[in-house]
Amino acid sequence: MAPILSMIVLIPLIFAALALLTKTKEQARAIALTGTVIVLLLTVYMYFNFDSTIAANQFEELVEWVPSLGITYHLGVDGIAMPLILLNAIVLPLLVLFTWNDDRKSPNKFYALILATEGAVIGVFTALDFFLFYIFWELTLIPLFFMVSIWGGPNKHHASIKFFIYTHVASLVMLLGIFGLYFAAWDMTGTPTLDIPTLISQFQFIESGIAKDLIFLALLFGFIVKIPSFPFHSWLPDAYTEAPTAGSVLFVMLKIGGYGLFKVMLPMLPFTASPNMMISIMAVLGSVSILYGAFLALSQKDLKRMVAYSSVSHMGYVTLGAAGLVSLSVSGAMFQQFSHGLIMSVMFMSCGIINNATGTRIINDLGGLAQKMPKLAVIMVLIFMASLGLPGLSGFIAEVSVLAGSFVNLPVYVMIALLAIVITAAYHLWALQRAMFGVYNERLGTVTDISTYQTFSMGVIAILVLYFGLNPSPVLDMMLTNSEHIISLMAAMGV
Amino acid sequence: MDLMLLAPEITIAVTGLAVLIIGLFLPTGSKKILGYLASLGVLIALALTISSLGTEALVFYDTVSIDALSQFFKIVFLVVALLFTIAGIKYTEGHSNTEEFFTLGLFATIGMMFVASANDLMVLFVAFELASLATYALAGFEKKNAKSLEAAMKYFIIGSLSAALMLLGISYIYGATGTTSIPEVAANAGVLLSSPIGLVSVVLLIAGFGFKIALVPFHMWAPDTYQGSPSVVSALLAAGSKKMGIVAAFKVFIIALIALQAEWQTAFAILAVITMTYGNVVALNQKSVKRMLAYSSLAQAGYITMAFVVLTPIALGGGIFYALSHGFMKAGAFIATAAVTYMVLSENKDSNDPDHIDNFRGLGKRMPITALSMTVFVFALAGIPLTAGYMSKFILFSSTIQAGFVWLAVIAILNSAISLYYYAKVVKYMYFLPTDSEKVSEPFPYTVAMVIAVIFVLAIGFWSEPFVYWAMEAAKVLIPGGM
Repeated sequence: MAPILSMIVLIPLIFAALALLTKTKEQARAIALTGTVIVLLLTVYMYFNFDSTIAANQFEELVEWVPSLGITYHLGVDGIAMPLILLNAIVLPLLVLFTWNDDRKSPNKFYALILATEGAVIGVFTALDFFLFYIFWELTLIPLFFMVSIWGGPNKHHASIKFFIYTHVASLVMLLGIFGLYFAAWDMTGTPTLDIPTLISQFQFIESGIAKDLIFLALLFGFIVKIPSFPFHSWLPDAYTEAPTAGSVLFVMLKIGGYGLFKVMLPMLPFTASPNMMISIMAVLGSVSILYGAFLALSQKDLKRMVAYSSVSHMGYVTLGAAGLVSLSVSGAMFQQFSHGLIMSVMFMSCGIINNATGTRIINDLGGLAQKMPKLAVIMVLIFMASLGLPGLSGFIAEVSVLAGSFVNLPVYVMIALLAIVITAAYHLWALQRAMFGVYNERLGTVTDISTYQTFSMGVIAILVLYFGLNPSPVLDMMLTNSEHIISLMAAMGV
Repeated sequence: MDLMLLAPEITIAVTGLAVLIIGLFLPTGSKKILGYLASLGVLIALALTISSLGTEALVFYDTVSIDALSQFFKIVFLVVALLFTIAGIKYTEGHSNTEEFFTLGLFATIGMMFVASANDLMVLFVAFELASLATYALAGFEKKNAKSLEAAMKYFIIGSLSAALMLLGISYIYGATGTTSIPEVAANAGVLLSSPIGLVSVVLLIAGFGFKIALVPFHMWAPDTYQGSPSVVSALLAAGSKKMGIVAAFKVFIIALIALQAEWQTAFAILAVITMTYGNVVALNQKSVKRMLAYSSLAQAGYITMAFVVLTPIALGGGIFYALSHGFMKAGAFIATAAVTYMVLSENKDSNDPDHIDNFRGLGKRMPITALSMTVFVFALAGIPLTAGYMSKFILFSSTIQAGFVWLAVIAILNSAISLYYYAKVVKYMYFLPTDSEKVSEPFPYTVAMVIAVIFVLAIGFWSEPFVYWAMEAAKVLIPGGM
């Protein structure tokens, strides 16, 4: 069988190098589109050959790399990774189309960075060796840093450095956790290995409870900052807001923090010395993120900043659902990652369009845009409704599963999160009303509606949001299989 | 005794003398051939050393030992010497003292190689001095450049002082144990333990080696010397001479004075932390790229010093592996700086600070190969994955955690995070700041040297297995039975 996983990781990276060599916008975007479409086709092929009834890793590739240190080139996908790879593979070609007619400096670098991010993010989702995992994890940082620092808004330098340092330090703490796990297992078994499934299964045999807790917390910190969750979210509004539209969408595609939570943290959780404390930490961080993020979003004047804070709030559901520890809440949290990726990319695309058309993103300076931009208004209303959790759209399924599932174990935290629902509805509707409806603000001059390419990109994603809202099972089934597997492991341990 | 065992050293010595003598009869214009001759000699010696990997022998009445450790470090020194001689071909172009440049470089290399294989404190000291004397002269190679002379002067005075301290320390050890043979000192270390002489000699030796390795607070000379010397010589100093200090310290402390571990382990822990932190913090704000590299070199020495603290076979293997990687990364970075300096000076002869970071503006367009190589070197120094630097930090830092020194690993990792800032600054200047200057042609020998270094930096990072294996073998020489 062809090494399909290596292909979907390497093709974007190779095309990134090719895009860098091009001279014109036309060549660069053609290469970007070709690369991302090839990845999409391969991913779709993989999706249809994926067995969603088993929780094991599939399409595995294993090659020895540095045997004396136990480093291998080990790739594989399971039901946690597959939907996220699908998400990236779907959104990235649409993102290239969305930026099709934009004029910007150095288009070759721009498209190269988009492709490099895709390769690195898919790399994180497929890596089954911590060494490889960390390489891809760090690799996601570099293109995004440049994305913000080259094409970003007025505060781009501050935002890009803050993002870089914040998440780099978090990655280093995570690396410490990986070292701890690696050597604890090495001392125990006598053979070094960095294989993720092996190390996770050996975690329970570590004798020292303090060591187990420290390893768990170090890894958790690395993931939590990337999600990001309160109180480590402050890089996000700056980075998301200052990034160019494509950069914001790439940030939204960066679901590696939540992925780590499901893939690495949950299977280890029951074997820590104090699992209840760990669950409480995650539940507090999740529910506070939901509520606090919603309040912050409500008070924002800048539309894009509001969307950025709403992202903090939505990602809180991921942490809370993971801490809920029943298969409904865990699969809901996984689905939230998928759905949030779709919804937020259109939200940020809308912000970018409004900013380009009117020159401002301050909500109060806008008004009545729906009259001039009817196509945008239709898509935005649909997506805002999805984001606030209207039944029939994908956001609803995710949030209801998380809240209903977590209520079994964490009723108090769910009640905190429930308070946010009203606020979430409020800031979405209020912003929509002020920006899109009412009397047209004549000071904005003449504005034109979105282009065909943009309509297509946003429309396709909006249709997917509707489709997965009505029929989530194409991705939810495999998520359920994996969350049931995780929960059954815990049940077997009597947690 | 089988002379073949010393074939690499003999090759270098013969080449050095041949270069010196042939140079006397050549007109200045055709001295370029000397550089090729020297590079060829180093290449042969390198091939001989690699082909003899795995041999173990004691020669010269057991004063010189050939083992995995010495072979590994000899390869490090020879590789640095190779980069030095190749880059030197361009640097000495049209220079009437070409033969001295190469001969001194080769003699310094022999000194370093003998330090690596010394099995006796006297051999170690003499070889150490051979390398030092040759590099003092090299640092002042630009006789009409005040900065170069200042660099040489500082290096010479402080180097001599450190040699004196080292010799004094060795003489105390000899006085107490009655021997200069390293294994016998180890066997008789009980005497040192029971008398204050042991402590005195440890202090003197730490100071002596501390100067050479440039550990804070013995580092004062290093930034000035690295900045003032010709960049090609700085490459030899930072990548070669410094590693000599490290291998000498490995031999003296870990083999000879392992019994006094309690006395020196804490000292090295403090020195490592101060050195890496000071080096990184001061490097943040440097305007001269060479000075920045000098401080980064301090920081890297601080990381390697962690091996003395952790003292497990993996940590020592990691330190040795780090020394190899650092040789390529640092030598490469200095040679890239040399290429930029050459470009600046060929445009404007009177330029005062050709290594100022402003000269790196738009280098990605002006000198694409140099800029790309420099990017690889600084990212490797910062420890970006898939480079030699990452692999080195991975092994060394992780072994620190294994041994329970979590605080030390945390400090090292935070330092590593800080360092990314100033390394990335160079990349920013090269690729993201505009320039109105034209593209220039890149000097060929510098390009060759840089490409070799880039290939190795990436190869060590990617195909690490053989390098890690030999580094671990070398570590077994230091701690035979493991811990």
